Amino acid sequence: MVNYALQQLMNGICQGSIYALMAIGYTMIYGVVGLVSFSYGELVMIGGFGAYYTFVYSGNFFLGVIGGFMASAVWGIVLYILCYKRFLEAPRHISMICTFAFSMMTKNLAQIVFGSEPKAVPSVFENVTYTILGIRITTLQMIIISVVIVFAICFTLFLTKTRAGTMLRAVSQNKKASALMGINVQRTVLIGNGIGCALGGVAGVLLILYYASCYPNLGQLVGNKALTSTVLGGLVSIAGSALGGLSIGILENLGIMFIPVGFRDVITFIFLVIVLIFRPKGLFVRKGTR
Amino acid sequence: MLKINKLRVNYGYVIALRGISFHVDENEIVCLIGANGAGKSTTLMSISGLVDKAGGTIEFKGSDITGTKPHEIVRMGICHVPEGRQVFPSLSVEENLRMGTISVQKPTKQYIQQKLEEQYTLFPRLKERRKQAGGTLSGGEQQMLAIARGLMSDPELVMLDEPSLGLAPIVVEEIFELIQGIKRSGKTVLLIEQNASMALSIADRGYVLENGRMVLTGTGRELLVNEDVKRAYLGD
Repeated sequence: MVNYALQQLMNGICQGSIYALMAIGYTMIYGVVGLVSFSYGELVMIGGFGAYYTFVYSGNFFLGVIGGFMASAVWGIVLYILCYKRFLEAPRHISMICTFAFSMMTKNLAQIVFGSEPKAVPSVFENVTYTILGIRITTLQMIIISVVIVFAICFTLFLTKTRAGTMLRAVSQNKKASALMGINVQRTVLIGNGIGCALGGVAGVLLILYYASCYPNLGQLVGNKALTSTVLGGLVSIAGSALGGLSIGILENLGIMFIPVGFRDVITFIFLVIVLIFRPKGLFVRKGTR
Repeated sequence: MLKINKLRVNYGYVIALRGISFHVDENEIVCLIGANGAGKSTTLMSISGLVDKAGGTIEFKGSDITGTKPHEIVRMGICHVPEGRQVFPSLSVEENLRMGTISVQKPTKQYIQQKLEEQYTLFPRLKERRKQAGGTLSGGEQQMLAIARGLMSDPELVMLDEPSLGLAPIVVEEIFELIQGIKRSGKTVLLIEQNASMALSIADRGYVLENGRMVLTGTGRELLVNEDVKRAYLGD
C-alpha cells in the first residue's frame, strides 16, 4: 500500500509538472492580457501537433520541443491579432468571448486538417524503466520533469534578470504607467502572450509523449486544468501557479487510489471549488502584494 | 517649449476639454488649477498621448505631437508622473527606477547607474528601500518613487499630476521642495494641483481650468491674490 502510494506520488509529480508548466504560461498570459483565456487548451494541443509532426519527420526529441514551442507561439500571435488587438479599448468581455470562439475554431480546424482520430506518437528516445527503492520511474518521466524544471528556471531568470522580462512584469502590473514609461504596451502584450502560449506548447509536447497519442480534443480538458492550477496559485504568481499545477497532479494520482479512475477529473474540480470557498485568493498568495 | 492650441477631448458623449490653449516656456513651473472634473488630468493625458483628441494641436519643441503614440512621446523628452503614483507594486524600487529608462534608446550600464545614483542622492529614502517592493512603500515614498522614475529618462519637460494627493502636510512640503529642485536642475515643470495655494506659490505662471475651459491666466503671484481664485480655490 505504501509502495503503491509512493508510486502514485511519483506519477503525480510527473503529471503535475506538466500542469505546472501550463499554469506558468497561463499566468504570463493572464498577467499581460489581464483576462482569462478560453483557448489555452487548444494552444497546448497545437504545440502537441507541432511536436508530433516534427517527431515524425525528424525523430529528434529536442527539435520536437522547439517545434511545439514555435507552433504555439505562432498560433498565439494569431490569437492576439484576432482576439485582442482590435478590442484593447472595447469592453473586456468581448476579448474573452473571442477567445472562446477561437478555441472552437482551432479545435475544428485541427480536426479538419489533422483528422480527429488519435495519432500514435513515435518514440523518440529509448524508454527504460528504472526501479529505485521499489518505485518505478521511466526515462520519459525523468525527461518530462527535467524539461519542466529547465523551462521554469529559464523563464524565471528571463523575467527577473533581463530588461525585457522586467518590462513584461511591469506591463502585467500597470499598463498605463508602463505606457508612460515609454514601453510599447501593445508589442509587449503580443510578446508576453506569445511566450505564454509557447510554454503551453512545450507542455503539449510533454503531454503527447506522456499519453503517447495526439488528437485534436487533447486541449479541452487540460485547458481547464491549467486554469484551475493558475487559480489555485492566485492567478498572478508564477511560483504559485507552478505549485498549483503540481498539487493538482499529485492529488489526482493519489485520489484514484480510492475512487475509480473515471472520476479522476472530478477530483480536480471539487478541489478547486473547496479551495475557492475557503481561500478565494488562491492557495499560495503572499501577503502584502496586491 | 510646449504649445497647446484649441485642444478638444471627448469621452464618448461627455465633453472633457472645450478647446483650451496654453503654453509652457523653457525652465518654467507652470501650474494648472481647477476643481475636480475641470479637465486637468485629461489635459496631461492628451499631451502624453493616452487619450484621443477631438480637435486642436499639441506642439513640443516645434514639432507636432498631436497624434504621436505614448511611448514615442516619452522618447521625445516628456515625462508624465501620473495621478495616484502608479508605481509597479511588485517590482522592487530599483526595478521601478530601471523601468524609467525604457524610453532611452540603448542605455549603457553606466548611464543607468549614474541616473540611479542621481535619484538616490535626490531621494535618499529610496536608496534605503531599493530592494523593497514598490507596493510596500508609504504614500509619500511611492510619490517620490514615481517622480524619481520619471526623472530616470532625463526628460526636458516633467508633468506632475496631483503629486500632493493624499499626503501628510510635511511630506507635501518635501515634494514641493523637490519640484523646485527639478526646476533648478534646468528642467521644465507642468504641474497639476488641487492644493492651489501651495502650487501657485512656487509656480511662475498659472492657468485656471473650469469645465474644460481656460478661464484665467497670470503669474503665480497674480493668481494667488486674485479674488475669484481666492473664493473658488483657496477657500478664503
